[in-house]
Amino acid sequence: MTGIAQGPQPQAGPNRGSISLQGVTRIFAGTIPAVDGIDLEIKAGEFFTLLGPSGCGKTTLLRMIAGFEVPDAGRILISGREMQDVPAHKRAVNTVFQSYALFPHLNVQQNIGFGLRMQGVKAPERKTRVDAIMELLQIGPFATRNAAQLSGGQRQRVALARALVNEPEVVLLDEPLSALDAKLRNELQIELLRMQKRLGMTFIFVTHDQHEALVMSDRIGVMSKGRVQQVGPVLDVYEKPRNVFVAEFLGLSNIWPINPGGGAQVDTPIGPLQITASVGAERMAMIRPEKIWMWPTRPERPNVFAGQVSEAIYMGASTQYRVALTDAPAAPPILVLDTNNVAAERSWQAGEMVFVELKPDNVMMIEG
Amino acid sequence: MSGLTPAIKKPRVNAERLATALRLWIAAGPGLFWIILFLLIPSAMLLAIAFLTNSDFGSPVLPLSLGSFSEVAGYGILGWSGANFVTLARSLVQTGAATSMTILLAYPLVFFIITRPANLRPVLLLFAILPSWTNQVVRTYAWMQLLNPEAPLSHIAQKLGIIPEHLGLMPGDFAVLIGLTYNYLPYMVVPLYAAAEKLDWTLVEAGRDLYASGTKLFFNTVFPQTLPGLLSGIILVGIPAFGDYVVPQLLGGDRAMMLGSLIAGQFTFSPNWPYGAALTLIMLAFTCLGLVTFRRLTQRMGAGEGAML
Amino acid sequence: MSNIPRGVRNGLLGVSLPVYLLLYAPLAIIAVFSFAPSLHHPGLNVAAYGLLANDPQVLAAIRRSLVLALCSAALGTMLGTLMGFGLSRFRPAKGGGFWVGTLPSLIIYLPIIMPSLVFGISEMIFFNYVHQYTGLLSAGLLTMGIAHVTFQAPYVALVVYARLAGLDANLFEASHDLYANGLKSFLYLTIPVVRPALIGGFLLAITLSIDDFTISFFTAGPGSVTLPIYIYGEIARKGSSPEINAIGTLMIATVIGVALLYYVVTRQQGRIGQTSAA
Repeated sequence: MTGIAQGPQPQAGPNRGSISLQGVTRIFAGTIPAVDGIDLEIKAGEFFTLLGPSGCGKTTLLRMIAGFEVPDAGRILISGREMQDVPAHKRAVNTVFQSYALFPHLNVQQNIGFGLRMQGVKAPERKTRVDAIMELLQIGPFATRNAAQLSGGQRQRVALARALVNEPEVVLLDEPLSALDAKLRNELQIELLRMQKRLGMTFIFVTHDQHEALVMSDRIGVMSKGRVQQVGPVLDVYEKPRNVFVAEFLGLSNIWPINPGGGAQVDTPIGPLQITASVGAERMAMIRPEKIWMWPTRPERPNVFAGQVSEAIYMGASTQYRVALTDAPAAPPILVLDTNNVAAERSWQAGEMVFVELKPDNVMMIEG
Repeated sequence: MSGLTPAIKKPRVNAERLATALRLWIAAGPGLFWIILFLLIPSAMLLAIAFLTNSDFGSPVLPLSLGSFSEVAGYGILGWSGANFVTLARSLVQTGAATSMTILLAYPLVFFIITRPANLRPVLLLFAILPSWTNQVVRTYAWMQLLNPEAPLSHIAQKLGIIPEHLGLMPGDFAVLIGLTYNYLPYMVVPLYAAAEKLDWTLVEAGRDLYASGTKLFFNTVFPQTLPGLLSGIILVGIPAFGDYVVPQLLGGDRAMMLGSLIAGQFTFSPNWPYGAALTLIMLAFTCLGLVTFRRLTQRMGAGEGAML
Repeated sequence: MSNIPRGVRNGLLGVSLPVYLLLYAPLAIIAVFSFAPSLHHPGLNVAAYGLLANDPQVLAAIRRSLVLALCSAALGTMLGTLMGFGLSRFRPAKGGGFWVGTLPSLIIYLPIIMPSLVFGISEMIFFNYVHQYTGLLSAGLLTMGIAHVTFQAPYVALVVYARLAGLDANLFEASHDLYANGLKSFLYLTIPVVRPALIGGFLLAITLSIDDFTISFFTAGPGSVTLPIYIYGEIARKGSSPEINAIGTLMIATVIGVALLYYVVTRQQGRIGQTSAA
């Protein structure tokens, strides 16, 4: 873009918008590390989500990328450039805050134009660009309103517009949808995604909502206790979690400790399980509840267990069952999720006898 | 992208703290140093003077002595006198009485304000504190106009036999009490209002079933919630009332002498700085005692700081 | 709270109206006496104000009071704003220990909590010694101004601090995020958002200066008789006079005017300030 007199120099080339974190660490006074030696490569133009419970360090990591915090160790490279001595106001990175942080003394268009004004963009060009982004995000009608007069969803759009108008290399979003109600949230999720694909900027999205992470991201990084537990495409992380934390944080699961029985079989509290995965250092077996089959009669295949439905919770599109196994009364009941779609053959009542089948392909080996 | 050479290794926690502290002192420094230079140091000097000896000209000289304190205790060239204790006692009693009066007036006033519609409340509050923004001398002078022996109020009091003929409602202890109450009422209203505004009325609703009478309901549900405001109010009224100078000077006369007038006298008409400084020390000691007691009380109730800083 | 019984509400009204009356009656009396100097000679006149307008002593006292109030308020607002800004921006949430937390708070609260008599006498002694040993700072408008700044600055700091503390802390980061360096952030964010508090603080400082008697009394010199000191002297000399009533009325009117202005400004501030809530 022309007209940028001050502020960050735009990077060109395929690197523009990539982020590289190398051993990034942040320790607050007298506490355990909030961010503990994180290595992470985020590709240019990617929608990357940092997912984790509150206090896992994801926001601190985001703040270090933005430049509000300085890492105690490690390096941050944005678009291939070392950021150690680059203050926040010189980084081609813009943030959408959880609280939106709209300036109370400015109206909507002045808020959006603030970044351009600080970079010394002349008024006519500023107006063109602000108008364009307001059009794109459909906030033109309240351009001259004060932030106090906006609804939550409108504030969110203004905050997003205020970041996007600068055409940054990277957009950081700190739980930007958490204050909105469910319906508005879904709408804005789709819109955010559309905007990101259209503008091609790198988005780093921080959330504690696994559903949101699954819906929006190209890749996600699951964080816990200041470390990245697993990074990968959404599908991989959900289907093949690396450890118990990731498996449980990303959805419902059945997890048992295992004794490697050698070859294609492991011993678990519910009995021996045939598996296709190879056993390395993993000490747990995991299967997602929706990957379990329920049969009225015993199919002649491996990994079939007899049991009784102890609980059936109807949830609309699906029903969640707990099945107590006849041969392993000490083990916790197995969690099964069955869809209620048109192809569903039947549903089950509490008390019914069933056979559950855990197909060997669907049993994953994970770390503790 | 080269290897994983950590750019920084040492923990920067201390450096960071130092930088923040430095920024704070750079920004706030001029103001803080102003107060240190023009108030902290002067008041330390005043206290130090209490331990010096009085010269013939009323200014303090060496050697160090505790003479001024024995003077405070009542030992003078004419032998012992209890006058100072009477003055101290009168100051304490007047402060207590005036504080109680402000509480009695402020409670109904504050609850009157918060039971009005929300848009009226700020205006009503403003009108309650506006008089306090006029000059204290003018405010006190106004009461001189109302209470002097020739004023109608005094005539009525004479007719009713409350005061003897040819005497007015001032000068005297009664006038001082009125003056102190009038001057410091807003200092009770404001913190009480702040507490009452945050009142959780669901507790009152819940208590309605439990307590038979309105009085019991008030003291069990409403009153505890206003206690933090009440305690700040007591501090805000008590400290300046105890040290007041203008009111006893204008409305009190010689027979209603308070500590403030006594102290001021040692620095104006008949200078005796060490004696005055020792009296000031006594005054500050009582002030601090009150302050610490009420802060403790506030904290024990878990009411938190309540202060802005 | 609409559930409060009607009887109680009426009772509150019944007690409160006399309290309001009590608050304004003395001030009203002064105003009435200024126009109707004597009960024995009924009729309104403005003779007392005419006397004032021609009394060089009164005019000089008014001029001194205004100069003192405006100058001290200007400096007090500057120092106070910087203190409020520093304390709200550069202090960690937990208080930050002695040098960053306790000490600055103690210093700021000292002028507010100290009885004005002790305040005034301390300054008198200090200025006395400074003058005695250096020849500087002889008692007069300058020493009064210094003392006034000392009690104005903390109040302004509280007003500014309250304003900044009520704001979303992310605002400042947002400004840096949007390419503003420290100076630009101060100019384009901090100054505009505290402007109402700044004006409010300035007006508050003026009222504090005009309201003060005790501290002024002890720091004044022979040539720096301001209005409150003049009134006090007149009262001590004559008890009461139509002239004092007239000055008092003017002072009341001025303060009420400034207070209303302050109120309007802070209300405006409250309205803009409500955006930060998430």
